[in-house]
Amino acid sequence: MHESAPLSRRSFVARAASGALALAALAAGATDALARAVRGAHPADDDEPPEQVRRVLEARFGKRPIRKGHVQLDIPSDAPDGRTVPLFIETDLPMTADDYVKGVHILVDHNPDIHLAEYRLTPALGAASIDTRIKMRRTSYVRAIVETSRGEVWYAASKVFVTLNGCG
Amino acid sequence: MTDDAKHTRERPAEPGDARILLPEQIRQGSIIHVRALLSHPMHTGLFRTAKGEPIPSHFVKHVSVTYGGEEVASFDWTSGVSRDPYVAFPLRATREAPLAITWTDNRGGVFRQSVDVKFG
Repeated sequence: MHESAPLSRRSFVARAASGALALAALAAGATDALARAVRGAHPADDDEPPEQVRRVLEARFGKRPIRKGHVQLDIPSDAPDGRTVPLFIETDLPMTADDYVKGVHILVDHNPDIHLAEYRLTPALGAASIDTRIKMRRTSYVRAIVETSRGEVWYAASKVFVTLNGCG
Repeated sequence: MTDDAKHTRERPAEPGDARILLPEQIRQGSIIHVRALLSHPMHTGLFRTAKGEPIPSHFVKHVSVTYGGEEVASFDWTSGVSRDPYVAFPLRATREAPLAITWTDNRGGVFRQSVDVKFG
């Protein structure tokens, strides 16, 4: 009578491992799909400021609405070195004598100083943009907030994944 | 090599070397791109040397930009701006006049640079 070869310990372990791997991949896929579905359902919740950031914003801009739009924030989504993260902020808002961008603010949610910098501009510049390099402590949202001479506040936010702590 | 240099594994940043870069060709009335760079350590005060001694904070906190003697922009910074701080911004070149930038740090260090906006 022919008996199937007994499963050796080694091949059993190998098969079990590959099975577990496949299962893990399946689960990861499902989680991704779920995350995408959740993000799709609540796109606005993504960059909702945490409490400590909300306090900083309120101290600067009071109860004025901070609306998304008119601001373009160019920053890498992956920053291996948190000591120097390049960023570029641009806006299409007018830069005329009676309606101009008077302030550009950079906020980093998880830095020791949340409000990192303020750039006060005047119509003499002719346009509103700022190009600089910042430090980041860890993975965090970076917010570019623009205030006009008429009191409107606009923003853009981007999540940056940081490997090396650049703040201490 | 100083402790600071060992800590950062790079040359120590001595504050002071300031540069302003303008485009080579400037047309009257055009919006030009101004780039400014200052050598400065921008210490946060949160790092330590290799020997474990704290490195005190030392950073540029205010920047003033004047064009023809009139302030056209001013910046308030924290130590969150990277070492050897770089900033670039637009400027409408309305007239031939000096463009000057003054950087002031939290220990009273003042660094100044000026270039002439010229048409051609």
